[in-house]
Amino acid sequence: MHHAHIDKFAYQDSAIHRLDSRVKFIVVLVFTAVVVSLPRTSLSILVCYAIGPFAILVLGGIPLRFVFKQILLVSPFVLVLALSCPLYDRTPLAIAFGPFDWRITVGWMRCFTILGKFTVTMLALIGLVSTTRFNDLLAGLQKLGVPRLLVIQLGFLYRYIFVLIDRAHHILQARAGRKLRNLGFRAELRTAAAMLGSLFVRSIDTAEHINIAMQARGFDGHWRSVSRLRIRRADLLFALIAASFMLGLYIFVKPVLQ
Amino acid sequence: MPHRDDAGSFVRRAKAMPNAIDIENFSYKYPDGTAALSDITLNVEHGRKVALIGPNGAGKSTLLLAMAGFVKGDGRVLIDGLEINRKNLKQIRAWVGSCLENPDDQLFMPTLFDDVAFGPLNMGLGTEQVKERVADALQTVGLAEMGDKAPHHLSAGQKRAAAIATILSMTPKIITLDEPDGSLDPRNRNNLIKLLGSLSQTLIIATCNMNFAAVLADRAVLLDKGHIIADGKAKIIMSDSKLMNEHGLEVPTISS
Repeated sequence: MHHAHIDKFAYQDSAIHRLDSRVKFIVVLVFTAVVVSLPRTSLSILVCYAIGPFAILVLGGIPLRFVFKQILLVSPFVLVLALSCPLYDRTPLAIAFGPFDWRITVGWMRCFTILGKFTVTMLALIGLVSTTRFNDLLAGLQKLGVPRLLVIQLGFLYRYIFVLIDRAHHILQARAGRKLRNLGFRAELRTAAAMLGSLFVRSIDTAEHINIAMQARGFDGHWRSVSRLRIRRADLLFALIAASFMLGLYIFVKPVLQ
Repeated sequence: MPHRDDAGSFVRRAKAMPNAIDIENFSYKYPDGTAALSDITLNVEHGRKVALIGPNGAGKSTLLLAMAGFVKGDGRVLIDGLEINRKNLKQIRAWVGSCLENPDDQLFMPTLFDDVAFGPLNMGLGTEQVKERVADALQTVGLAEMGDKAPHHLSAGQKRAAAIATILSMTPKIITLDEPDGSLDPRNRNNLIKLLGSLSQTLIIATCNMNFAAVLADRAVLLDKGHIIADGKAKIIMSDSKLMNEHGLEVPTISS
């Protein structure tokens, strides 16, 4: 079955793809922290900040259509939060942009800023996962000191989420093939519970088999791996450019919306 | 005469050499009390390719698990003369490479390289040696350029070959394969037959596919309801239509 993998462009080859996962991860982490900490009147600056991740996406050859689709997929959660702002804060606010000026509320300003910050940080995050293979990202996280158990869990999650989705899909297909009439709410609920139970039992079964496969290859509770990560001159140059970009924006670009 | 002495000493050494697998009166019951294996006695010499045939639920998979020390019952299981016990499990599992029925269970690491390296790393090999083992194993199964691939990006045939590579990298003496031909198309099945046929290790292949067994194995062990029903030359056992029909199997339409 075909899945829409979040890292489906991570197997391309570009200068951005070849960068060390640790450097990319730290840059994105710092960038996200900087963007999130910008004041609520910094809507116009966000456009300047967006240039960074946008450049990474373009240089990495990631289709922007794919990027915006991914942003739209997760946007409902943020939309609920952002659209609630105008409801509870209706303090008037005057904004000016060059010769234009408007009157809106602080709530709306917050709403737009949240949406702007969300879009810019999502651009950076998608830039990271679309130009970094998930296993390199995991290896990088492990090297950066993230607890090994958490990294292993993430690895298993990524490996088996698609297997689980396939199984759920097959169960749904089996149900659809035999469900010839509307069964009513209670019967539907009972069927759903049985389907979830089946999925759960099969997941346990899979976990047992994986455990056997691991033990068969000498696993004794200690996770060992061959690290293939190397920091090169290009990685240091990328880190330097990213740091200059963020520092430059922080120092020289001030909000124009007042 | 020196020549005779040499020959004589060779014969003595050969006789003293233990079998790859010796199972003596082994019985195992599931936790609910159902007998899975009853009084199994089986000896397999080194380098043999043995087909473990039988209907579904015959106990084939359980017997394969017993060979790697995953199920503990009554009786003895010896691998290369070493009786399986808790203390030597690590050694036994380095000797017996178990390939599970579903390759998705076997390939649990983020990339093929990591999966094939998993066993050698646990054996305590150094990084360079591990890389060599991985390269050799992937080369053997025809996936030399695919080390960086994620398992979910592989086809069914590639997953099966990759699962075998995860075992080969540990250079085991014995390889057990549970329904290795499951869900493979004819081309991938033929590739798998070529690959398994080229291996020098002792192979124990549990399968319901008689054509697959007939092409690969020189010996067949028919298992049903936890008992060994027949054990002998694959050609003779699998051409006995009465025996095969009685146990829900079929006579192969092709021969080796």
